[in-house]
Amino acid sequence: MFPLAVRSYYSLMRGSSSPASLCARAQKLGYTGLALTDYNSMAGLWPFLAACKKYGLRALVGAEISDPHSPATVICLVNHSIGYTNLCNLISRRKINEKFSLQREVIEHNAGLIFLIPSISLLHNLRKYNIELAADLGSRPTERSGKLRKWARANSVPAVATPGAVMAQQSEKDLFQLMQAIRTNSRLDEQQEENDDFPACLESPVIYQDRFAVWPEVLAATDTLAARCTFSGPDFGIVMPPWAGNEFGAADSLRKAAYRGACHRYGTDLSEAVVERLEHELRVIDSMGFSSYFLVVRDIVHQACIKADGGTTRICGRGSGAASLVAYCLEITNVCPVKHNLYFERFLNPGRSDPPDIDIDFSWDERDAILANVLKNHGRHAAMVSTIIRFQPRMAIRETAKAFGLPPGEVSRMSKRLGGIRGRSSEPLLSSLQKMPALKKEELADPWPEIVRLASGLIGIPRHMSVHPGGVIITPDPVSNYVPVEFAAKGVPIIQWDKDGAEEAGLVKIDLLGNRSLGVIRDCIASIENSGRCFDEEYWQPDEDLQTRQAVAAGKTMGCFYIESPAMRLLQKRAGSGDFEQLVLQSSIIRPAANEFVREYVRRLHGGHWQHLHPRLADVLDDTFGLMVYQEDVSRVAVALAGFSHARADGLRKVMSKKDKELRLKDYYREFDKGCAAKGVDEETREKLWQMMMSFDGYSFCKPHSASYARVSYQAAYLKTHFPAEFMAAVISNQGGYYSTFAYVSEAKRLGLHILHPCVNTSKRKWNGRGDDNSIRVGLMAIKGLSVDTINRILTCRKKNKFASSIDFWQRVQPQKDESRSLIQAGALDSLDTEKNRSRLFWELFQFRCLAKSQKSNPLFGIQLPPAPVLEPATPKELLRQEYQVLGFLCKGHPLLFYRNRLQNSTRACEFAQYIGRRVRFAGWLLSGKLVSTKTGEVMEFLTFEDETGLVETTFFPRVYRRHAPILATGRAYILQGIVEEEYGATTLTVENVKKL
Amino acid sequence: MQDRAIIHLNVTDFAVAVERIQDSSLKRVPLIVAPARAARALVYDMSEEAYRDGVRKGMRLNLARKYCRQAQVVHPQPALYRRAMTALVKRVVHYTPLVEQGEEDGHLFLDVTGTHRLFGPAPDIAWRLRKQLLNDLGLDPVWSLASNKLVSKVASRIVRPFGEYIVGSGEEHSFLAPLPLAMLPGLKPEEMKILADFNLQRIGQLAKLSRQQLHVPFQKRSTYLYDASRGRDRTAVLPGRTGNARIVREHVFEEDTGTYSEIQSVLTMLVHETGRDLRNKKMLGRRIGVSLTYSDGKNIIRQATRKNGCDNDFLLRTLAFTALGRAWQRRVRIRRCILICDRLVPRPQQQTLFVMQTRREQQQEKIICAMDTVCNRFGNGTIYLG
Repeated sequence: MFPLAVRSYYSLMRGSSSPASLCARAQKLGYTGLALTDYNSMAGLWPFLAACKKYGLRALVGAEISDPHSPATVICLVNHSIGYTNLCNLISRRKINEKFSLQREVIEHNAGLIFLIPSISLLHNLRKYNIELAADLGSRPTERSGKLRKWARANSVPAVATPGAVMAQQSEKDLFQLMQAIRTNSRLDEQQEENDDFPACLESPVIYQDRFAVWPEVLAATDTLAARCTFSGPDFGIVMPPWAGNEFGAADSLRKAAYRGACHRYGTDLSEAVVERLEHELRVIDSMGFSSYFLVVRDIVHQACIKADGGTTRICGRGSGAASLVAYCLEITNVCPVKHNLYFERFLNPGRSDPPDIDIDFSWDERDAILANVLKNHGRHAAMVSTIIRFQPRMAIRETAKAFGLPPGEVSRMSKRLGGIRGRSSEPLLSSLQKMPALKKEELADPWPEIVRLASGLIGIPRHMSVHPGGVIITPDPVSNYVPVEFAAKGVPIIQWDKDGAEEAGLVKIDLLGNRSLGVIRDCIASIENSGRCFDEEYWQPDEDLQTRQAVAAGKTMGCFYIESPAMRLLQKRAGSGDFEQLVLQSSIIRPAANEFVREYVRRLHGGHWQHLHPRLADVLDDTFGLMVYQEDVSRVAVALAGFSHARADGLRKVMSKKDKELRLKDYYREFDKGCAAKGVDEETREKLWQMMMSFDGYSFCKPHSASYARVSYQAAYLKTHFPAEFMAAVISNQGGYYSTFAYVSEAKRLGLHILHPCVNTSKRKWNGRGDDNSIRVGLMAIKGLSVDTINRILTCRKKNKFASSIDFWQRVQPQKDESRSLIQAGALDSLDTEKNRSRLFWELFQFRCLAKSQKSNPLFGIQLPPAPVLEPATPKELLRQEYQVLGFLCKGHPLLFYRNRLQNSTRACEFAQYIGRRVRFAGWLLSGKLVSTKTGEVMEFLTFEDETGLVETTFFPRVYRRHAPILATGRAYILQGIVEEEYGATTLTVENVKKL
Repeated sequence: MQDRAIIHLNVTDFAVAVERIQDSSLKRVPLIVAPARAARALVYDMSEEAYRDGVRKGMRLNLARKYCRQAQVVHPQPALYRRAMTALVKRVVHYTPLVEQGEEDGHLFLDVTGTHRLFGPAPDIAWRLRKQLLNDLGLDPVWSLASNKLVSKVASRIVRPFGEYIVGSGEEHSFLAPLPLAMLPGLKPEEMKILADFNLQRIGQLAKLSRQQLHVPFQKRSTYLYDASRGRDRTAVLPGRTGNARIVREHVFEEDTGTYSEIQSVLTMLVHETGRDLRNKKMLGRRIGVSLTYSDGKNIIRQATRKNGCDNDFLLRTLAFTALGRAWQRRVRIRRCILICDRLVPRPQQQTLFVMQTRREQQQEKIICAMDTVCNRFGNGTIYLG
């Protein structure tokens, strides 16, 4: 029997097995093919087709469509390509249309589809239309299926058997029940009590034959029906966004636009290098048929850049697309590929079969409007790519614990401690947890071992669909002709495939992404201009500014895009160069598996002896001191030493970032080894080169991407160096940086800036930096619990008249009680408090609310408060406590000052340089941390602490980390003991002992 | 009007005190009372030493063990504590019929107003009682004497775990004034927050506010706060357990449970005990309440009512299951389950002239009667409804 109805885990919590495991099981059971019919979904189409190919199975494409107003479902199987389009449209309508009627839609979209229906009434209703129908008898003869078969025989409709499997094997029953408990927000016990004999798995054909021995014609009809389904998957080729072209055609238009742009970028007298490269790129782009793609992207960017107020939007074209001179000339990207020697073949090469993609960053708060505009302009022809959110260890444990009925507090306590746990480890999850230093004091007592055991089965299973950060596809026909479309929670249309699926299908994606730092730079420059100073962006060359270079070389880049992390700041200090080219290199060399190369890079940069691993690498790795730094270095080395074609080398580069790369990498290794050997490279060198290539495991950047980012980094560093007040205010206002607001406020204080309390009469929504008096006024957005509506009311009311008194403020703004409380505690009403007594302000607030309530019916008279009782003002310490509680930082001073009398013998951060090689005691506030694994797999952590004088980077080696991990939490004070170390001018503290303060 | 004399007796850490009487070797070690066999047990009670190490009631046992590593853990015996409480009350009622007791927690209020001629001055009664309880039961209670329940309770809080305190009539105000506001009974967390906003730290500062002023932030509660901050409390000592006539049965799960059938079977057991109690007292219950305590300590109570009272286990069980369905709405395990049967009415003595019961009800009655016989002969818990 051919299995016609099987769900995979792409049915989103209604199936537990991957398409691959279903196919593997089907092959093992002796089936010749499989029909995947996910519940209102085709998200698993491409993994299913790949698995069928791998296991030599015939793939039948289909889906199970449900009716939203009844329990009815039908199985739809595609028997030719029109049916595929209809099925995509059916699913899209089911997902989008709230008034979806299964019967009506099946009547409208039935061409090329065969419907398996388990309901006599629905079959009866559909029979009069010319629709290919079959009665779905399910997986075993029952009383219900007996009646259905009888009806089918009487009406000459074929009756077929379907496994209705929701899992590959019976052993997944517990997992499936857990998934149902999570899906229905119920307890696991309820599922176990209610569904004891459910669910169904894929059984052997022999079992179905035995079951249906009484109705042999059913199995024959099943196989006949399966044989009629000849559609084996869509083949669209490459689907480019359509360009509403002019009379010249896309290639000519692109050429003209590129040369026009080149003249704008380089002047009318174009150099030979520029012309040569332009011609080369245009030739490749034309031969691959991507001209229209460039023009569509250009149109999107240029339309997006024109703001309603006449200004322009700041963009950052990045990714491999930044290697294209054509893209630079079209003003899609901002870094000159000729000047920075960027490798075009990383972006496009004639052997590349997959579509290119260009990534463009917009300011984070402008991106949604730009996306909405693109989606609106292209209507049903545009949708966003989805991201399939899968269970990760932490989410799996949390959801399983909830299904076990553990209280939310206990679940979140445990969940917080699992921050460092990684998925896809070969080690059992429970063992990984038991080895976690942070869980040392958390006994994994019952029922946690059982929770973890079940949760480990969930890891990797899709949970729900979400929106890709910025991927948009634009298609010539409506998108729902290619792939089912649905609406994401945030209201945008998304396709049911993630980026890999879209790429597999040939749908070309354009990435429009959000970037906080573009907002920071925009706000900072606006603030400078608003203060009456001139800032000319046209001739702004931040990388040529000496002070900025010195600041970068000293690692003073907290708040600067991409170069503010402790690892980056330490690397800049050690490198001590601060120039743009090195910054490009540094932002690429910092990657998870490249620590030893970072050290080697610093040594070579400071004049240490080195030579290329092979003389043939001189042309390839000269700029990078003989080290492979960028993604394309992998491809270029493979081309230069192993004789790879550009396409094959690009394949090697791509496979490194894939999840299931092991098998494919083996093939590449053999080919690389053989190719190198043929060119006379000795075995030891071959092995070293391969190991260097393997350091690109996980994430890594190409040079065009690094260069694009470095440009933004440099702009940020320039602004921080010359306009610290405006810059730090913009960093905090735009949020989302590497550090907390607390850390940025401390940095601002260290830069000599005064932090002024929020004030209802002067604070804006965002933080406001003023370079003329070196101050930053805290924005109203910083006050916890203050709603956006209330902030808007404050700003609107203030426009008419400033607030004269607290009563005036409450009367006009009408904040909620808790909001008023937060405003008072933050000090935002201090300017209205003549007596400087917040206790009294609180009393007035209550009196006002009481009287306002009683005088609601007669609002003509102003409110007069009776005299307040004598209330003592709170102590300064209590005021600071309240301020910290409501703002998360202190405007004046540092929380560590409260402990100073207990810290007579401790060393301050600014004194560390005097104690190199010596043991010190240091009182610090923990800001952030980064967990890493040693070569032996042990966990250690780099933590950043600060005191009122500076930042201290610390190293917790595995033994020390294991001992102290349970007490470490950000936003607390600790006393550390350890040895101060120095490397190329950068000091760090190797910690030996820690205590809470 | 004669000044009232209210004695507050408080056997601190009552469960621990009873356990230590039972086994004198426990006196030498810090003690935690908790179901030790359960993996997710909570602390039921703890000794003063364990308290000083950070152990608190309702804390997870494994955490409590970390705070106080040398503590010995004993399994709670609610029946034993109930017996000890009964013994305590039995000795106290000799001095006054006005004795108010809590739920097996070692707290007793005694109104000894006007007993001077019989038993001497109130302090003497308190001294004598303490001595008697120590001699007879081995329990050493804290006691305090004041003109009302509120002040005597605050006084006990000051001296616990050992000692006594007498607040003279008219001294209530000056006694309370220097004490922190947290000592005042009945203050809700949100009221404490408001008082902290006004920077009021002590009871005396609160007492300086007039009734009108207190009305501004506290509205209806202002009267209580006004009186309480001045040490005024007119509530009477209510004999017997606090509250109205009702039957209460409780079950604490050793390990919190998320299984509906397990909770149903426990409720069935509690229903049977309640039904027996009703039948023995010749009463009928018209309302069943189910109070659930979730694993995180949150409580919920929901009821189901019947127009006509009943003492039939089958009908009571239906009511209890209805209440359970209404109560268990969170996706969280259950730690404790209490069955409350109230709105009790006497069973009509006169039989109805015509047989109103259905055949099924008659059969049920026979089964219940047989079950009662078995239980009466072989003890509670011998037989339950399935």
